[in-house]
Amino acid sequence: MPADLRDHLRSCHACDAFRAEMLALDATIHRAMRAAPLGASSGATVRRIRPAPAWRQWALAASILLATALVLGAWVLRPSDTLARDLVTHVKAEPDSWLSERHVDAAGLAQALGRAGVTLNLASDKVVYAQSCFFHGHYVPHLVLQTSQGPATVLLLRHEAVTARRVFHEGGMNGVIVPAQGGGGIAVLERTGGDVDPLARQMQQAVGWLPGEH
Amino acid sequence: MADGYNAPQRKTMRNSPPESPVLSISGRLPGANPGDPITRLFESMRPDLLRFAQWLSRDRAIAEDIVQEALLRAWRSREALKDHSAARPWLLTIVRREHARLYERKRLELVPLEDIVETHAGPALAEPDGELFALRHAIMKLPIEYREPLVLQVVGGFTTEEIARELELSSTAVLTRLFRARNKLRVICGMSTARDVADAGNPA
Repeated sequence: MPADLRDHLRSCHACDAFRAEMLALDATIHRAMRAAPLGASSGATVRRIRPAPAWRQWALAASILLATALVLGAWVLRPSDTLARDLVTHVKAEPDSWLSERHVDAAGLAQALGRAGVTLNLASDKVVYAQSCFFHGHYVPHLVLQTSQGPATVLLLRHEAVTARRVFHEGGMNGVIVPAQGGGGIAVLERTGGDVDPLARQMQQAVGWLPGEH
Repeated sequence: MADGYNAPQRKTMRNSPPESPVLSISGRLPGANPGDPITRLFESMRPDLLRFAQWLSRDRAIAEDIVQEALLRAWRSREALKDHSAARPWLLTIVRREHARLYERKRLELVPLEDIVETHAGPALAEPDGELFALRHAIMKLPIEYREPLVLQVVGGFTTEEIARELELSSTAVLTRLFRARNKLRVICGMSTARDVADAGNPA
């Protein structure tokens, strides 16, 4: 198993659970196929089958794990696909974030941004929700902005490798992940079917990363 | 061997009473001596080969035909088997190729999907586990491009690389097909289907 995949499984409950599910499924498949299928033309007794030699059973287990690792690896190492899913999961875990109507003051916004080392050249009267959330091993600003189309969630992902714009539709939300200037990415999500690109472009111009470890 | 598929007489295979293990193969292999080590070896492999062929062909009678043809081929090539410990994968490979040969000639699944009925031969064989029964049925319903690598892996014990060589696919393609086969079976075991590898950019 690749080291980065192994590391990911340690920190990602969803992927680790998927791996466990697949191993359990494999055990069930193995049990099911231990005997011959009873076909329509068959009246014969199912015979006891001699198991494969031990080394082949190990090879089988290794192949199963390799298959699972390949699939998980393909997902893990394609950051945008799992990133979108994780973003939606995170936002869904904070349902009240969409309901806030009170503007966040400058101090509140600075607190949400500061922990992640982010600057935002944006009028704070547009921000109705601002939290510093732990996401993918780092603190990221989680903002909700009021737009002409309703509330839109913005997550500023300094530590995500985003090299191209990616649109997603997941869990009842529309979203886009765009590269940020200086690396990282910006995710914008909304729930009413509106266009998220204008806000994403605005955020690309407004967001900056402070130097240093965050 | 001629290009046409000369199936052994099915009447003999289906309706014959149980035969002694020695006669069932040596009686049909030209020049085979029941006491010969290789004859005994082939005979000891027959249940595995039959199980393997049944999962591929989904029909016992066809599977018996395939195994019989495969054993004939193996018998004629027995000098090529230098290491008897490698007999199982060698014979399974011959069975698989025999099935593939028959499948290509007929250009379709040997048993129509709607004709697949997994029957219980009697109370002693009644499936105690409903999930296993449903899973076996689902495995038999898998398309051949997913079922074959799965059978090679689970029943045959072949590694991914061996399956890739045999099916003339890349290892990645084999792993993808194995994943898709398992993904289709997840539902039977009460799991939701996982996102397909095509979404992650892997080749089929």
